Amino acid sequence: MRKSRAVLKAVLVRVGMGVPVAWLALAAGVAHSQAAAPSPGDGKVFTDMVNTRCVKCHNADDWAGSLAMDTMDLKAAGQNPEVWEKAIAKLSSRLMPPAGAPQPPQPEVDAVVNYLQSTVDAAANDRRVGHVPIQRLSRAEFAASVRDLVGVEVDPKQILPTEIEVDGFSNIAGALVISPSFMEQYLSAARKVAQIAIGEPVPKMESVFYRGGGGGGGQAGPGSPTQLQHKDGYPLGTRGGVDFTHVFPRDGEYRFNFLEGDSIDAGLYPRGMETRATMVVLIDGREVARRQIGGFDDLSLADRDGPKGRTAVVAEVSGIPAHVTAGEHTVTVTFIERSSLAESNDPTGAGKVSGMPIIRDGVQVVGPFAPEGLSLSASRAKIFVCQPKQESEETACAQRIARHLATQAFRRPVTDADVQLLMKFYATGRAEPGGFDNGVTELVTAILSSPDFLYRAISSSPNPGESRVLDDRELAARLSFFIWNEGPDEQLTALAAKNQLDDPAVMQAQVERMLKDPRAQSLVENFAFSWLNMATLAQVEPLDPRFNAGMRGNFETEIRMFLTSVLLGNRNVTELLTADYTFVNESLAQQYGIPGVLGPQFRKVTLADENRWGLLGKGAVELRTSYGDRTSPVLRGEYVLDRILGTPPTPPPPGVNTDLSVHEGQPPATVRARLEAHRANPTCKGCHGVMDPYGLALENFDVTGRWREVDAQAKNAPIDATTELSGGAVLRGPADLRRYLTRRPEQFPTTVTKRLMMYALNREIEYYDMPQIRKIVHEAAAHNYTLGALITGIVNSDSFRRQGPEAPAPKLPVGTKTASIEHLRSDATQQ
Amino acid sequence: MAIFLTKKYLSRRTFLRGSGVALGLPFLEAMVPAATALADTAAAPKTRAGFFYIPHGAIGNNTPFGKDVDAWTSSGKGADFKLGHTVAPLEPVKNYVTTFENIENLAAGGSVHTLNPATWLSCVRPDTAAKGASMAITLDQVIAQHLGQKTALPSLEVASETTIQVAACGGAGCYYASTTSYAGPHSPLPMEYNPRKVFIQLMGEGDTAAEREALLRKNASILDMVSDRAKSLSSDLGPGDKARLADYLDSVREVERRVNMAGSRDFSGVNVPVAPVGELDDFDKQVRLMFDLIALAYQADLTRVASYVMVAEGTNRTYNHVGVPDSFHPVSHHSNDRERIRRLTVIQRYHMERFADFVKKLSTIKEGDGSILDHSLLLYGSNMSNSNQHDNYPLPEVLVGGANGAHVGGKNLTLPPRTPLANLHLTILDKVGIKQPSFGNSTGLITEV
Repeated sequence: MRKSRAVLKAVLVRVGMGVPVAWLALAAGVAHSQAAAPSPGDGKVFTDMVNTRCVKCHNADDWAGSLAMDTMDLKAAGQNPEVWEKAIAKLSSRLMPPAGAPQPPQPEVDAVVNYLQSTVDAAANDRRVGHVPIQRLSRAEFAASVRDLVGVEVDPKQILPTEIEVDGFSNIAGALVISPSFMEQYLSAARKVAQIAIGEPVPKMESVFYRGGGGGGGQAGPGSPTQLQHKDGYPLGTRGGVDFTHVFPRDGEYRFNFLEGDSIDAGLYPRGMETRATMVVLIDGREVARRQIGGFDDLSLADRDGPKGRTAVVAEVSGIPAHVTAGEHTVTVTFIERSSLAESNDPTGAGKVSGMPIIRDGVQVVGPFAPEGLSLSASRAKIFVCQPKQESEETACAQRIARHLATQAFRRPVTDADVQLLMKFYATGRAEPGGFDNGVTELVTAILSSPDFLYRAISSSPNPGESRVLDDRELAARLSFFIWNEGPDEQLTALAAKNQLDDPAVMQAQVERMLKDPRAQSLVENFAFSWLNMATLAQVEPLDPRFNAGMRGNFETEIRMFLTSVLLGNRNVTELLTADYTFVNESLAQQYGIPGVLGPQFRKVTLADENRWGLLGKGAVELRTSYGDRTSPVLRGEYVLDRILGTPPTPPPPGVNTDLSVHEGQPPATVRARLEAHRANPTCKGCHGVMDPYGLALENFDVTGRWREVDAQAKNAPIDATTELSGGAVLRGPADLRRYLTRRPEQFPTTVTKRLMMYALNREIEYYDMPQIRKIVHEAAAHNYTLGALITGIVNSDSFRRQGPEAPAPKLPVGTKTASIEHLRSDATQQ
Repeated sequence: MAIFLTKKYLSRRTFLRGSGVALGLPFLEAMVPAATALADTAAAPKTRAGFFYIPHGAIGNNTPFGKDVDAWTSSGKGADFKLGHTVAPLEPVKNYVTTFENIENLAAGGSVHTLNPATWLSCVRPDTAAKGASMAITLDQVIAQHLGQKTALPSLEVASETTIQVAACGGAGCYYASTTSYAGPHSPLPMEYNPRKVFIQLMGEGDTAAEREALLRKNASILDMVSDRAKSLSSDLGPGDKARLADYLDSVREVERRVNMAGSRDFSGVNVPVAPVGELDDFDKQVRLMFDLIALAYQADLTRVASYVMVAEGTNRTYNHVGVPDSFHPVSHHSNDRERIRRLTVIQRYHMERFADFVKKLSTIKEGDGSILDHSLLLYGSNMSNSNQHDNYPLPEVLVGGANGAHVGGKNLTLPPRTPLANLHLTILDKVGIKQPSFGNSTGLITEV
């Protein structure tokens, strides 16, 4: 024992001296030793720590955290994994002993963590696995599924109800509840999708408004910069604009409208009308119409004649007609860029930006006027596997359509009875106006409404208390929903039919194939965005006047490209924290202080400043972990603890003052100074002493991710990003923090695996999953901890391949208890 | 745009299906027609219930400054009854208003924020150790079981913004911070914040009566198929999964019932406005719009029970429109700073003003022998007291409405110390004609109400 402690101590000294390579090799050694039986000496490190540091509070008198370690058999830690997995997490993140209490040296913590991990892992041979209940498709899964099945793009947020999230994920089976309003919205979504896919045999005129463009400043303010510059992907020589994808129900004439003066900056203060501009409408990149707007006449109209004049101006660019074929098309409305010399009517150059028509709110599409037939759209091509030439062929063709679509939608072989059932709906629709197409619309509606499509279940073992191995069909669905967010494709279905998926090599080949497919982008959009809390960027509204919607969009684009490049680019997942490159355009480069980047298109750049490396140097992360009016080391520290280290802190107890604002009459102080005054309270220090130092290391980044040396809100007091972690390590700014978080190569991959496993299994991670997670991470080391390696480990794990028994009522482990309401009452009255 | 709006062949459905038109205030006006056709046909009194939740408590006599800053507590009796500053917007209808002192809810105790929304109407402490949601049916849903069966929607659950906000969710997921409504112990109901979806939920889809009928018939047969298939799937499942699928079947049956009810909906007395485009960027307009939608639902008898989370528990929303640049949640941690307390009071009064507008509107919509307000019982309040302490005593609660003669306002009730909130809930049940021995952790009725 003495020897192993000495080795560990030596390691720490080396790290302190900045020789991380040595640590890497040694850490791998430690990881390997986990598989071996723990030596009894290691156990003493553990019992010593419990007896000297833990039982002071966790005892049968105090019951701190409802836990009494003096009543537990410490020799049999492996038999009580539920408790000790928690201890492993709290110790590794140094949440315990609480900050403020005397701290054990790092080697001692590492030794205890290693002992506990290997003890628990060695005892984990009962192969307990969790149970996943039957689950409904989440709205994101519904949208992904219908996109693939019938080629219709829908915005799930607009047509389906909000999901309950657990740890940011909206695909957790237990939380996918159903209520009558869910039911109604799913039914109506199914019908809507079917109508869009097939096109309306008896078309009705409809109007759809697409939001877009850029918000102007309301009154005479300049438009968002995105409206004044060329937009990426737009035809060269254009400026600003808006684009969207619209499903045109029928061949015919459609018209494009602007709803009010403000939409083109011809409102009460019609600055946009100061110069004449040419607006063009493009369908799939091809120009279909152009209009002149702005200039002296329009300016006087809008200015002098009030609402009437503004209406007249809007009318010039309203009702722009274009002939469009049925199906999905991209519509772009933009302006022809004039030379800046011709454009500028302001010698300073500053006023120039406000003098051009812009698209502020968006565009309305109305139609079809004079509808014609239906061209073959992508959706129709997917649905109509046959086309009857005469009425006598219709029924047979409808049956083929039903069988083909239901096989994919139901994720199983379709029976004759299924087809018979669906054909009733075809018959109902066929009898109405609209003929064969209308029959098929009803058929598709029925398929998309059926619980066979909407629900997926994994069977449990018929023997109570036993787990069951998933069959290949269940495995294919689970794999496919994991990586693609939708049901399996033909290849996967075929392999499942041949029962080949229980072969880990086949599984690995499938994982590799699926990760190369565009649908794997779901892992960025649905997994990584949820895990890293990037889906809610819009919730922080910075007061910084330099910030605008365009910059928010830049942040989002950067983070999306960055996540995609690391996760789907076969890189070590830890590069999410360490990568020395990112993706920027001109305005983002300016925000970050990177010279030499011109133009609105994003490109990969190498980051010279190591403070910008990885996620913790990205504007999106800084923004998400700030308040509108100030940075928050607490939110940032919590982000690091929860999202990066995988150990969320407990929420503050009642009765605490969490306000950091500068009060009337007080001298302005830095956030750090305010926070430290606040943290003097020992009750707060227990958690904040752990959490805040991480956030303080990021103080050089302001709310919108700009680098700052001084705090403008505190009379330019210098920013001090030096901070001491609860375990004693001293960090000087973001780069140090990054090195600290990545000092053990398996640390971050473990967090990723935990979150990824939760996302894959559609349930929360339990203590009995932890030995498997450690094994997956350990094995992924040989494959450079790529996302593919972690996913392969997960899909070959027991947790993924087996279904546990339905959970009995939870039994409390020995030495724990739950808080009673009386207990809380006495707490509440003590304040 | 107006050109298209007025053309006959562009029916209402057109606008429902597209995102319609930008609409600001005109929509609000359109919401409250002067029609009385429905009222005239009302045979029996239709009792409405409504629950209006606001996070972060209220500044009352619950700070170290005591009465100095108390903006909540009412005073006086009878003609001298006077509402506190925050509640004062209800002054014009104060004869319908009862305020309370000394109410407590232990069910949320110690949770800071995470349990506040859900336990406000349940008064039952959730089992946070359970996997998934585990609490009890809430007051609004008990009432919906009784009153809701006569309307197309048994109840309506709405919010001004998304209630899934990580900041307030805590370790137990978002089961208890995201909703005030549970249809059963394991059935949290989502709070819809997209006014467009609320509108479609209320008004339904379809153009003409004939087309609506055809759509209803088709949906009915799809629902038949759905319930047959669900039953057949269920046969292969374990007991837990069977129970989950049974929830699904219950929802199917409920939708079937709504489909049947929808056939008899009558919009003849209501000026049906154009559907909203979606969530509005302007928070103030969004709040007003939600209240208008609830008023519309009451008026057209589309539902008799509504629950509204006026702003999310974990919100970081600022209130610049009433001169408060701070975020609601951070400023609610007022740290006994007088200026911050003042600002917080401004926010709290703002929300009461919107509620009061709604109440006054209900008092102008005639129905039978009186107004809709005469036939309503509305609870406005919070499940927190002093937001600086996150405590749950004394809670700010206001009861408003005539409840068909069962409730007479114009009074402030000083209850015995630590009177359970559940007693008020039991009393509300009693007033709307639902007799049950207890509710949550109730100890009895509040007989003075």
